[in-house]
Amino acid sequence: MTDRVLTRVVRRETHSPRTAVTVVVLILIAVAAAYTATEIVLRLSGAAPLLATPGEALAWIRALPDEQPQSGVIAGAAAVALVGVVLLWFAIAPGRRAKHALAVLDHAVVVDNGVIASAIAERVRRASDLPRGAATVGVGHRAVDVTVRPEQGQTIDRAHVRSIAEEELERYALTPRVKVRVRVQQPAEGEGSS
Amino acid sequence: MNATNRGINRAVLFAVGLVLLAAGAAVILASAWPTAAEIWRSSAAAAVSWMQDAESSSAVSDATTLSGFTIGVLAVLAFVIVVAIVVIAKLGGGRSSVVIRDENGDGAQGAVVVRQAFASDAITRSLAHRGEILTSRVSAGRVRGTDVLHVSVTPRQNTSPAEVAETVTGLVDSLAVLTGRQTPTLVSVRSGVRARFAAEQPRVD
Repeated sequence: MTDRVLTRVVRRETHSPRTAVTVVVLILIAVAAAYTATEIVLRLSGAAPLLATPGEALAWIRALPDEQPQSGVIAGAAAVALVGVVLLWFAIAPGRRAKHALAVLDHAVVVDNGVIASAIAERVRRASDLPRGAATVGVGHRAVDVTVRPEQGQTIDRAHVRSIAEEELERYALTPRVKVRVRVQQPAEGEGSS
Repeated sequence: MNATNRGINRAVLFAVGLVLLAAGAAVILASAWPTAAEIWRSSAAAAVSWMQDAESSSAVSDATTLSGFTIGVLAVLAFVIVVAIVVIAKLGGGRSSVVIRDENGDGAQGAVVVRQAFASDAITRSLAHRGEILTSRVSAGRVRGTDVLHVSVTPRQNTSPAEVAETVTGLVDSLAVLTGRQTPTLVSVRSGVRARFAAEQPRVD
């Protein structure tokens, strides 16, 4: 019971609710409907239309294939179709946020990827005796990228850095699991004379 | 964390997206392909004449331009506007002011209701002493009829999230001992602009 509630809570926390897009779309729909209704009422009362009478609008839609320039019509239609594709993408894509669930203890813990990244960077930096800012970590949905820039003359063992990062990640037991990639950027010769 | 119905959000986006995609594709086809243009013209003409017929046949009286058809169209538009507003108004919500409720009162403690403010105070005050945690916020919500506590903390940069989680869940567990009731708890550890500026300063030595 509690587990199911927590599973749901974690899912809600790690996925976007799509609220902002939905609000924008609904407001546009409401505005369009209100505008159409206004034009109909104006026509009923015999007043001048705001932009076009309903009859004119329908005639325009009817003549759309013959409208000139044709390339303009096609470009406009393509833009509309593209907006449709984007909305479909928003509706179907999972909308994952940059967060991971931490499987520690019996509570639900959700951590921003940035927090994981800075913790791993700090751990790698201390363990490999690197200067401040020499370890950069990017945390993605399924992968962690560790980039280390050792100073001149300092040798860095990639496997060692990887094992440190993996050991730290092991303690977090992230869901979904992540793979570690390590890159070592050796300083160019003659650079960084300090 | 709130009670937004995400299924409705996605259904709205799906329906609108499908309509826009279909409309755009239809216009492209009609512009680029003569056969489709012919279909477009004839069906548009049929639709327009159907509307004219419907309007003239359902006219309320000869004196006005008002017709049953027009009233129907206006009613549909009003309905669309109302639905859009209702869906927007129903977004969010689901916050609760109660963290623990035990109204049966059959336990040794009798009826227990722990307010969110109590849990919030207890947890944020305890976390305020900790140097590695910059800010904390506690809210409560109801998910599937269960009260859930949501503790959201921003730790200093370079702090291990596992340690932060342990600290916070330790406090939640202490609260559970105090109140005699385990509350399902979500801990979110956030990064923020503040965390970046409050990174441990380099020691000068």
